[in-house]
Amino acid sequence: MLQYILKRILEMIPILFIVSILIFFFTHLIPGDPARLVAGKDATLEEVNIIRAELGLDKPIWDQYITYMSNLFQGDLGTSLKTGLPVSEMFADRFMPSIYLTFMSMGWALVLGLLIGTLSAVFKNKWPDYLGMVTAVSGISMPGFWLGLILIQIFSVKLGWFPTGGAESWKSYILPSLTLGAGIMSMLARFTRSSLLETLRADFIRTGRAKGLKESVVIPKHALRNSLIPVVTIAGLQFGFLLGGSVVVETVFSFPGMGRLLIDSIAFRDYPVIQAELLLFSIEFILVNLIVDIMYSMLNPKIRYVS
Amino acid sequence: MRRVNVWKMLFVALVSAILLAGCSSEESGGTSEKENSGKSASGKDQELVIAVNENFISMDPHNTGDTNSNSVQTAMLEGLLGSDEEGQIIPQLAEEYSVSDDALEYSFKLRQGVTFHDGESFNAEAVKTSFERIMNDESLRLNSRGFNLITSIDVIDDYQVKVTLKEPYAGMLTRFVSAKILSPKLINDSSGDIGKTPVGTGPFKFVEWVQGDHLTVERFDDYWNKADRVKKITYKPVPENGSRVAMLKTGEAHVIYPAPVQNLKELESNSDVEIHKIPSTIARYVSINTMKEPYDDVRIRQAINYAVNKEAFISVVNSGYGLPLDSIIPSKTQFYSKQETYDHNIEKAKELMKEAGFEDGFNAEIWGNTNSDTLKGMQFIQQQLKEIGITVEIKSMEEGTLSDEIYGAQTPEEAKVQMWYVSWSAYPSDTTNATKPLFSSSSFPPDGANTAYYKNDDVDKWITEVNQTADPDKQAEIYSNIQSTIYKDAPWIFLGVDEILAGSRSNVEGVFISPTGGINVTDANLK
Repeated sequence: MLQYILKRILEMIPILFIVSILIFFFTHLIPGDPARLVAGKDATLEEVNIIRAELGLDKPIWDQYITYMSNLFQGDLGTSLKTGLPVSEMFADRFMPSIYLTFMSMGWALVLGLLIGTLSAVFKNKWPDYLGMVTAVSGISMPGFWLGLILIQIFSVKLGWFPTGGAESWKSYILPSLTLGAGIMSMLARFTRSSLLETLRADFIRTGRAKGLKESVVIPKHALRNSLIPVVTIAGLQFGFLLGGSVVVETVFSFPGMGRLLIDSIAFRDYPVIQAELLLFSIEFILVNLIVDIMYSMLNPKIRYVS
Repeated sequence: MRRVNVWKMLFVALVSAILLAGCSSEESGGTSEKENSGKSASGKDQELVIAVNENFISMDPHNTGDTNSNSVQTAMLEGLLGSDEEGQIIPQLAEEYSVSDDALEYSFKLRQGVTFHDGESFNAEAVKTSFERIMNDESLRLNSRGFNLITSIDVIDDYQVKVTLKEPYAGMLTRFVSAKILSPKLINDSSGDIGKTPVGTGPFKFVEWVQGDHLTVERFDDYWNKADRVKKITYKPVPENGSRVAMLKTGEAHVIYPAPVQNLKELESNSDVEIHKIPSTIARYVSINTMKEPYDDVRIRQAINYAVNKEAFISVVNSGYGLPLDSIIPSKTQFYSKQETYDHNIEKAKELMKEAGFEDGFNAEIWGNTNSDTLKGMQFIQQQLKEIGITVEIKSMEEGTLSDEIYGAQTPEEAKVQMWYVSWSAYPSDTTNATKPLFSSSSFPPDGANTAYYKNDDVDKWITEVNQTADPDKQAEIYSNIQSTIYKDAPWIFLGVDEILAGSRSNVEGVFISPTGGINVTDANLK
């Protein structure tokens, strides 16, 4: 297993190399001249050209790429064209809040999703099932933007329980993480339900029950465990998306995270920030995939990886 | 049966847990609500929270172009000159100033007994250090406009400075407002930190900046102008309109800027909240490419102006907040002179179209960014021009792409733009910036923002002339000519001037918003 993990990590290197090339060139392909955007509408051509030279944007794209890569190898993510601050410094303030938010959202989604899915499957076609599935459908259909504003209205404005935004205390994380996790929670609930229903019909469950195993053992230990593999796949994929996909929620809750930074940077054509952030998301995505693969084998010992 | 019972029990346990969690958070929530209302009602709390719509970019005053960063800097840093509530220039760190007749020499008598937040004394040398940084630091090129014209900064004595220019520049006084004076120690020791931790002489000193989350400043007790002020101010970027409104309602924010138009009624009905409407210097217009057929005919441009109902524009697009644009510059700009507006007159518009040989109208194209308000504005123009037979196609482009399309053209002949729905905002005290980049023939893209490709020899001559004098009466006269000539030539569809909307809790005192949208907190206090 260890060998397999090592091999997967080594495989990441060429993948990331290709990804970095793609990111660099695609970023530079977006229409819009950063020098002009930095200079402003009233800038003269001369001023724009001075800025272009200062930002190194007047050099051929290959030159720029080589500089970018050599800096990257030295651990330098570059300097933001917009703020003039090192990109790593800009990430420092925002990375952890984003990670906490993602984990907390995933936590809600997993706990509530699995619970609702399990209850719905066990009480198939009874009221808990209906209630669970109505919740799930609502969670999927409600846009995060809208759900966020509703939660702010109820829990911040009317009840005053949680702040409307920011990331100052644990309380600030509750509403945004619930909003962000709602969609995945619903998806997981539906997947858990259908996967568990299928497993409950399987021969080994019937055998277990025939042998007189208690329901409290059959469901969590045998049925649920075997139903989890498709659920883990979905959870893993969604987790990857969560990391970068929290833009809307971060905007609604004025949350100082990576998603908002990316959107701001794209609007400003802040190449170094866009590139570094996309690269970071790619690394995270690949790592999450690796973790998902490892979890497969933990859930089902029949799945074994050979190096 | 037994199986169901187990799960029923589990379900009951889950519901109880959720209810219990709800109750416990109700307890803690109750406290937070009390805290919130206490914050806004007691008046003893000395922390002011201001929520704005965008992130701050940099705290380096010599390298900043955005209003929000400027607002925060104004709390901490001061210039030789400042600006009042109307946006007009007033002395700040200079007690007095004078400009020579040829507009080349600026003399300042400095305020004494002023100290920087780091304990350094403010004097003529400090002014020289800051000004030299703006002039000499290559990376500040964009903000050194005006300062690159300086030939010498003479320290007459500890509290007198004279700045000499190589050629006159009418916007120079406004440049002195933005050229905040930084502690010489900060400039000499660690120029890399200026953008993060500025040190000035302002009423508040820098405490902390968490990127994207908040920036905090604290009262500077040795400030030269003693007055009651709040102890701390926290600025928060909150881009979502609904969230800003919610913060104002809960008392989490004491001031929000801007206040969204769609929430005004709701906010106005709240007795704890006050709404402020400030006429701005933001002009909304559509530039018309005067070098393209058929727009090269002034009658067509005037017809278009007569066809568009400005009052309706303000009520439909700006939800009723704003004023008609009755000159080429908004009324809050220095040297403004009101013009006779193109009143909504379809008959006259049709007549002009007929005279120009376009009785049956023509097809046109209007460009704008993807902002929903811009789209609404363009649709309004489309609907209005249809009345006189002009079929307008809307082309909505993302800002960067649009910028490429506009500024990508190297000559007027290459320009594809016909009409551009856009806005312009200049400092109220800087009429040069409100005219030269927009109407001088030296400012055709990519060299400026004269996207109407407007060329009038008289106007070109006047724009040069007005920059060469320091006599306000003469400047007023020339600007009056410039305004009436251009307004008649109609290189724009003159639409409206925005009213800036801000909201505050009713216990806030001494905070004002300038016509440019800057928030001044010098005398901020809570009742």
